[in-house]
Parts: sequence; C-alpha cells; structure tokens
Amino acid sequence: MARIIVVTSGKGGVGKTTTSAAFGAGLARAGHRTVVVDFDVGLRNLDLIMGCERRVVYDFVNVINGEANLNQALIRDKRTEGLSILPASQTRDKDALTFEGVQTVLEGLAKDHDYIVCDSPAGIERGAHLAMYFADEALIVTNPEVSSVRDSDRVLGLLASKTRRAEQDDEPIREHLVITRYAPERVGKGEMLSVEDVCEILSIDLLGVIPESTAVLNASNSGVPVILEEKTDAGQAYDDVVARFLGEAREHRFIDEKKGLFGRLFKG
Amino acid sequence: MGFLDYFRSEKKTSASVAKERLQVIVARERSHRGGPDYLPALQEDILAVIRGYIDIEDDAVRVQVEREGNCEVLELNVILPDTD
Amino acid sequence: MLSENHAGGAFELKGRMATLTVLQVLTADIDELLKQLDGRLSQAPGFFTGMPLVIAPSASVALDAAGLQRLVDGLRARELVPVAAVDMPAEQAASAGLGWLRNFERPADGSATERGKSKSPAASTTRIVTTPVRSGQQIYAHGGDLVVTAPVSAGAELMADGHIHVYANLRGRALAGVQGDGNARIFCQSLNAELVAIAGHYQLSEQMDRGLQGGPVVIQLQGADLQLSAL
Repeated sequence: MARIIVVTSGKGGVGKTTTSAAFGAGLARAGHRTVVVDFDVGLRNLDLIMGCERRVVYDFVNVINGEANLNQALIRDKRTEGLSILPASQTRDKDALTFEGVQTVLEGLAKDHDYIVCDSPAGIERGAHLAMYFADEALIVTNPEVSSVRDSDRVLGLLASKTRRAEQDDEPIREHLVITRYAPERVGKGEMLSVEDVCEILSIDLLGVIPESTAVLNASNSGVPVILEEKTDAGQAYDDVVARFLGEAREHRFIDEKKGLFGRLFKG
Repeated sequence: MGFLDYFRSEKKTSASVAKERLQVIVARERSHRGGPDYLPALQEDILAVIRGYIDIEDDAVRVQVEREGNCEVLELNVILPDTD
Repeated sequence: MLSENHAGGAFELKGRMATLTVLQVLTADIDELLKQLDGRLSQAPGFFTGMPLVIAPSASVALDAAGLQRLVDGLRARELVPVAAVDMPAEQAASAGLGWLRNFERPADGSATERGKSKSPAASTTRIVTTPVRSGQQIYAHGGDLVVTAPVSAGAELMADGHIHVYANLRGRALAGVQGDGNARIFCQSLNAELVAIAGHYQLSEQMDRGLQGGPVVIQLQGADLQLSAL
C-alpha cells in the first residue's frame, strides 16, 4: 500500500514544485515506484519542471470526471524508471477537484505505486487542503524568511487538525522540514535566519537544507529535476534529503559557509 | 574559449533551452485557449491514428478552432516528413 | 430589477467587530442623569452623535419602565442611539423598544454585587495541551485553567476562564479570566508574547518590561493594571 507524502508550504514560490520533482525522482531512482501529482487547478507547473509538458494529454480533472482513466493520464518519465507524473488541469476551476474524486484517484494510484508525492499549490484553500488531507507524511518547504516561516507554521497547524489522520484520531502525519534557498554567507552576516532559528520556531524534525543555487533555475529551464544534476550543490542536497527520508544518516553538507573560490566553481 | 567563458555559455544555453520550450508550449496552449476542452486529446488521437500509417513527429499534428463570422471551424494541420 | 440569471444569494452573514458603549446608569433620577450627560456632551459636541449605547443599570438602581422610557427618549433627543439593554428583564427592555443582551463581562471593579460578580473558575477542569500551538489556532479552556507544555507560535491564541500556564516559549497571545475573573493569572516559562490579557485588561509586547522578555514571568491583575513580575 502506497505512502502518501504531501509537499506543502503555505507560502508560494518557496520551492514546493522543485522539491516535489527532485524528491519524486530521487525516490524512483532508489527503486521505489513513485508518482508525483500536481494538485493545482487552473495553473500547471509540475509538467514543466519535469520536462514533460509536451506529452500532457489528459489531466487530474479528466480522470476525476471519468473522461480518461489513470493509465491514459499518467505520464511516464523518460529519464527515470519507475517515475510517473499526473498533471494538473489548466482549464477548470477549483471546484473541479472534489473530495471523492481525489480520494478515488489516490486509491487507484496506491495500487501500483510505493510513493505518491502530492505537489500542493500555495495557500490554504481547496487545492492545498485536498493535497494534504490524505497524507501520511509531509514535507514542509520553508525559506529562511519571516513570512515563509509563519505560513509554514500555519500549515503545520492545519496538518495537525484538518486532515484525515487528525480527524480520525490516527497516528499523526509525520512532519519533515525542508529549508530551501539557504545562503550560509547571509546567515553568517546576520542577514538571514539560521537553520537553528527556523527549527526552533517550527519545532519539527529537519529533513534537509537546500542551498540557494543557480542549479535550480538551470534545471527548471531544461526541464530536469535538479536532483539529477549530480554535480551541483542543490542536486546533492536533494539527494541527501531522499537518503535521510529512506533512513540513511547523512551530514548536512551545505549549512556552513564555503571557504574560498574553489567551493563556488562547482555551484552549477 | 577561456575557462570562465565555458561557464558563461552554459548559463546561456539553459536559458535558450527554456525559451525554446516556452515558445512551443505557449504557442500550443494559446491555440487551444477559448476552444473546447477536448482539443488536446483530439490532437493526440489524430496523431496516433496517422502514426499507424506513417511515422511523424510529436508536434506534426495541430488542431485549432477558428472563428469566422458566425461559424466555428475546426482546422487541422498535419506536417508530413520530407520524402527522401 | 434582478434579472433571472442573478446567481447571487439574498443575504450574507458577516462577522464584524463593533464597539458598543455601555451607559452605566448609577441613579434612578433620570433628570439628574440627563443634566450631567448634557455637561459631558458639551465638552465634545459631535463626538457622541450617533453613538450606539447599551443601557446597563447598576445593581443598586431600581429603574422602572417609565424611567427607562424617559431615559431612552432623552438619549434619542440628544442624538445618541440606545440599541439594547442589559441586566434587566427582557420584557422591560422590549417595552422601551430596546434589544436585550444577556449579561456580558463587567470590569473587575469592587462595586459589582453578587449578581454582577462572575463565578470564580472551577479548578476541577484543567485542559492540558502538549503539542505545539500553531499560528492561526485558538485554544479556549472553558470553565477552568489551561496548561500548555509546548511552544506557542506567534499568531496563536490561548484563552481560559481561569489561569494560563505555558511551560515553554509563549510567542502568541494569552488571555486569562476571559469571563471576567480578575484573579486569574498567566504563568510562562519564556515570555515573548504578542499580547497578554486578564479579564479584558491587556498589554501589548511593546508595553512590556524589556528586562522580563524571554524569561519566566507571572502576570496578574492589580486593580486595572497588569503586573508582570519575574518568577
């Protein structure tokens, strides 16, 4: 039975889709059948970040409405074995994502996959709520910046109260913190919240820290999940995140300031 | 080409890849905008049918709805490969 | 004229905050009251015009129907707007054309008699919270105390009829004695609160003693002021 993992943040633009793509690709690369689902409605991002935008024929809402079945809508990733994408609808509105529809689709996906990664839209409205509702685990993506931290805190409150596990009094959703766009030099100067600051305010376990990196933009330009850019800092940081999630202990490599020019050359 | 030039042109390359991808996908999506929802699926179905007879590119089939006065016209473009 | 295609509903219920001024009636001598009121109004003509009022006769005042009507007429003549009454029989309020409100919290002053005094909190029901209280969440311990052993984020709100204890970092808001119990206290291990309040009297973070911030503090009400002291 599949594990459902929501990638959420509250705040927009912090790196949810980048993280969903990298995390999903990493899980698949580690041998687990993984599907990444875009829970936005009206706007579609995941397909672009994963480089399959030209192969989208049917989407999440088509499947909910019975206009297509899951096999027709799922896009199998060309680079990574065992990785699929369910794209969002661009033409419908938020009411098209129904509770029962989402539940049915997730149950269908659970049969053939080990992990279902739900890429949440920003905000706390319908799409975001449905993305988190059925989750077993959550990646809370946070920038070391005040509004992102506050929004993440709000989302943590919702994860603990407005989800199926909370409402049925089951074991609570396991929460993991992923800090993105981290710049150790700015932390050193006292300009940016540190890892400790964010962890102290949010009080959840840290899964990983992804450094601010040019690799992320290059990867989305090219339609490649950044984890596959193995020589880059961001790619390696996501690789660490997946490894830790799967139980391996790994040092946090990108929290300290780099010493000298040599470190900067291989930023990607 | 100097050492640093190598990295600079890397960056230019990914931006131009992005630009190309966007030009294609935005053009395709704009042509479908305002049209019925079934257009993308119709396009793919026609592509599959034609592929049963002749090998063509992914974007060799273009389906668009045009409005001429009071009429709506479904326009279908199929680009066949060059015959060698 | 609404077209048939009008898809909107006929009404909406919206939550709005409005300040209602309470006119505490301290004497049954309405003429004297109105005379003193005129004195007050002349100090700031226009300020009180259109002000909505709730008429609240003090416990010791016996206000009969005729007196109430004279008061209402007198207020309206002075362009004040009596909207409701409290602490009197509903029929009496209705006969003067006023709405009727159940008694709400009174300020913690010694003049309140048995009828006006709120019950002291029952120590039997204490609510204990052990998980972090997140921004946007509100926890209300009815009829008792609230104990929180995990951090309280900025943007979270703790409320209790009795005392509030936070054995962790308090960054949000804490309101104790919300039903009017001025004896309620707030205890916290690390004070970084945005706002603290006891029985309606509040203090914002910028008003709090700098030296106490971040440390263990107890907050109690002395008269109408909040006292913060290190634990």
